[in-house]
Amino acid sequence: MRDYFKKISELLFNNLESNEILILNIDAEKTDFIRFNHAKIRQAGNVNQVTLTLTMIFKRKTLTSIIRLSTDFKKDSLLLRRTLSYLRREIPELPSDPYLIFEKNINSFENDHTNNSLNNYEITDNILEGFKSLDMVGILSSGSIIKGFSNSLGQFNWHESESFNFDWSTYAKTGKAIKQNYSDQTWNQKTFDSLLLETKQKLKVIDNKEQIINPGDYKVYLSPSALNEIIDMMSWGGFSYKANKIGTSPLHLMAKGEKKLNKMVTFSENLSNGISPKFHSDGFIKPDLTELIIDGEYKKSLISPRSALEYSVNHNAAEYYESPVSIDLKEGTIKSDQILSALNDGIYISNLWYLNFSDRNNGRITGLTRFGCFQVNNGEYQGPINTMRFDETVYNIFGDKLLGLTDKKQLLMDSSTYEERSTHSSTIPGAIVEDFKMTL
Amino acid sequence: MKDDFINTVKSLIPKVDYCSFRFVNKYTNVISATRGVVEPVTISEDDGLMVTVFNKGGYGYGATSNLTKKGISEAVNSAVEWAKFSEKKLTYFPDLKKMKSRVGNYYTNEDEHWSQVSTKDKTDYLISVNKALKSQPTISNWGASIRFNKIETLFMDTNDSNVRQKISYLLPQIVVSAEYKKEIQTRTFGGHAHARQLGYNFIDQIDMINKGKTLAQEAVELSKSPNCENKITQAVIAPDQMILQIHESIGHPLELDRILGDERNYAGSSFVTPDMFGNYQYGSELLNITFNPTLESELATYNFDDDGTNAEKKYLIKDGVLIRPIGGLFSSQRLGLDHVACSRSCNWNRPPIDRMGNINLEPGKDSFDEIIKSVEDGIYLETNNSWSIDDKRNKFQFGCEKGTLIKNGKFAGMVKNPSYRGITESFWKNLSKVGNGETNNILGTSNCGKGEPNQTIFVGHSTPICLFENVDVFGGV
Repeated sequence: MRDYFKKISELLFNNLESNEILILNIDAEKTDFIRFNHAKIRQAGNVNQVTLTLTMIFKRKTLTSIIRLSTDFKKDSLLLRRTLSYLRREIPELPSDPYLIFEKNINSFENDHTNNSLNNYEITDNILEGFKSLDMVGILSSGSIIKGFSNSLGQFNWHESESFNFDWSTYAKTGKAIKQNYSDQTWNQKTFDSLLLETKQKLKVIDNKEQIINPGDYKVYLSPSALNEIIDMMSWGGFSYKANKIGTSPLHLMAKGEKKLNKMVTFSENLSNGISPKFHSDGFIKPDLTELIIDGEYKKSLISPRSALEYSVNHNAAEYYESPVSIDLKEGTIKSDQILSALNDGIYISNLWYLNFSDRNNGRITGLTRFGCFQVNNGEYQGPINTMRFDETVYNIFGDKLLGLTDKKQLLMDSSTYEERSTHSSTIPGAIVEDFKMTL
Repeated sequence: MKDDFINTVKSLIPKVDYCSFRFVNKYTNVISATRGVVEPVTISEDDGLMVTVFNKGGYGYGATSNLTKKGISEAVNSAVEWAKFSEKKLTYFPDLKKMKSRVGNYYTNEDEHWSQVSTKDKTDYLISVNKALKSQPTISNWGASIRFNKIETLFMDTNDSNVRQKISYLLPQIVVSAEYKKEIQTRTFGGHAHARQLGYNFIDQIDMINKGKTLAQEAVELSKSPNCENKITQAVIAPDQMILQIHESIGHPLELDRILGDERNYAGSSFVTPDMFGNYQYGSELLNITFNPTLESELATYNFDDDGTNAEKKYLIKDGVLIRPIGGLFSSQRLGLDHVACSRSCNWNRPPIDRMGNINLEPGKDSFDEIIKSVEDGIYLETNNSWSIDDKRNKFQFGCEKGTLIKNGKFAGMVKNPSYRGITESFWKNLSKVGNGETNNILGTSNCGKGEPNQTIFVGHSTPICLFENVDVFGGV
């Protein structure tokens, strides 16, 4: 595919007229999707898609066309020439773009993490065998992901990986469930077997009598997955320079210096794990580390090149949506193997679900408990709880009510597959929070 | 689709119990202007094919953007191979004899086509809307956009089915925020609600410039308004909030694949169980909900679903009693229930699953004025801005952009950050008045997410205003 991308790039760049600049982004994947219900196959198939984004720049005007490719050069050549003509014909109609910006320096590099070791039929058989006596539901997404960039100024970037993401829940007869995820570049049967064993052990605990809890304030442990849901909501504008300027950020009061979080809280955008590509869709190279919140104080936003021009600041090569793709929360001191004793009396929350804002201005978020949530008394599991709605501000969760963060972080690979497989991830510890408000 | 191409495809049909080919061509054009500047314009043209195979108790699909003979052949092979692999490993295998040959078509009725208006005219119009929005100094953010989508599908199968459909829709959007003492309030139009299968004349009908002026004024007024009080009260809910209420607490819980457990790892299941159909009192006797793919200009109006099933109007809830689920031809067989034409896919690269189409609340008898006059102490809630509901679709919380207090049958001032929470099983039983046809709005949302692999699809909801008793309403921090 890399050679094919170079070939079509050359074709297009050779057909440019004077003063035209062309930026190309390719996104491709070959993925097997195997969907399970009741530990059997619900739907299974393969998706092979290649998407090319062509952005033409001409006299401070810009126009973008997104097309699918066949990877048959003869067929694609016709489509590419037609698309180029279309862009050339339409672009004069547009007004000049005052925030037009693209990388003019050449920073080419290539990353290839493929090893062609994934046998998806074999993996599926392993999953079916492992869960054959259990009520498992979920999805295996497995295959290659490609992101590429080139421009007519001579830059070329490539990011290719092969990976799988098995995301599943296992249900007890009571209707309660445990959710887990196994994602990596190679399938390790021993790792899978240990996760399976963990599933079976947790199912025994969750199959106990439901503990009915009522609305009120509770001391809670938020697992890395649960905390990640809250951080996802904070990231909905919270770290965006533009959102903070126009007031749609849930952290705008922090960005204005009026609010702080607990000193234990340090967030950064950390791309050093290599899961997301380091090149921006307009060719800028992203820094490995961008410090967002340091010791509870808002330090820096993610600033896209367009925002930089609009607000006359320097950008940090953030994508135009200005939210983290690889957020990192610094670990704390609570021993990860002593969470129950640290919590002592409270609610152990493995997963939260369907979060949204109750009051965005003030960073207030609502959502619900979902998989693997237990009542804990005297440092021991008492049984699963009923589904509860919470309603709490990030200034409490990460502020005065934060009792501590765990000493180990977990890498969470985003299992999202809207349009294409995600390359986002988070690296997050767990947290213990007091007076966490349950409302319904 | 040219005949020689169709003949090529036909030559690739494998020797299996059943095979279908679903071609999708999806054209998207988004034009927007934000804070007085036209954003980069994007045009997307997406072509692809999904081959589906049922054979000897196995099922598989192959989807590709490679529409050459070689590419289609590879997709066929993928489908055949996965069907072979999944033999005797499937959750269920449908009765293929129930699948009929379908021949027909459907086209959106567009008075004025998107392509008849130049890009320049569209951008000039949106800049005019921007000027109307930035009407006061405290306006901190403003913008307007128009999204056009055209989705052409061709469905063919080994039953000699041949279905062609072309759905075009427009989604106009306006956003305006005002800041007062660091309190930011936002009013919007369109985002969650106002997508329609109409031609460009829809944009003229909306009059985005005057709509923008009104919204800007409301945002400024809201930013200076008190927070909504916490209390149990009567709530009159406008169509642009009712759409979410219907969507989340009726549409999703009635999806049969949720009830059957397919979605338990992602979108969730349902409090509805199979034994409830035909007898469960879902809401008050005023509640009538239809699956209606026949209402002209509504977003999910079509003649066939993506498995080729004929689309027709059917009641889901009649006089408050639950009648049938939203289950397609295949999944309905798993429970031996009647089906609706709801097996839908977001694109060529995702398989069809049970989806809402147009899920409508049928109008009642009361006029807008009669409903407001009947409220002694309550609130009128408009425009959704937050939604959250549990995985069984019971405990919900919704936020609205604008609340207007009602005292003794009259409006009595705006409140900001109005939200309400409740439980589906009791909430609909407190439906006490349903607005008449004059209060009815045909609405639609283009971003309903569900499924593994994930899919975002467009659904329609037509609804009048409604009055509910004993609603738990509250405000911001």
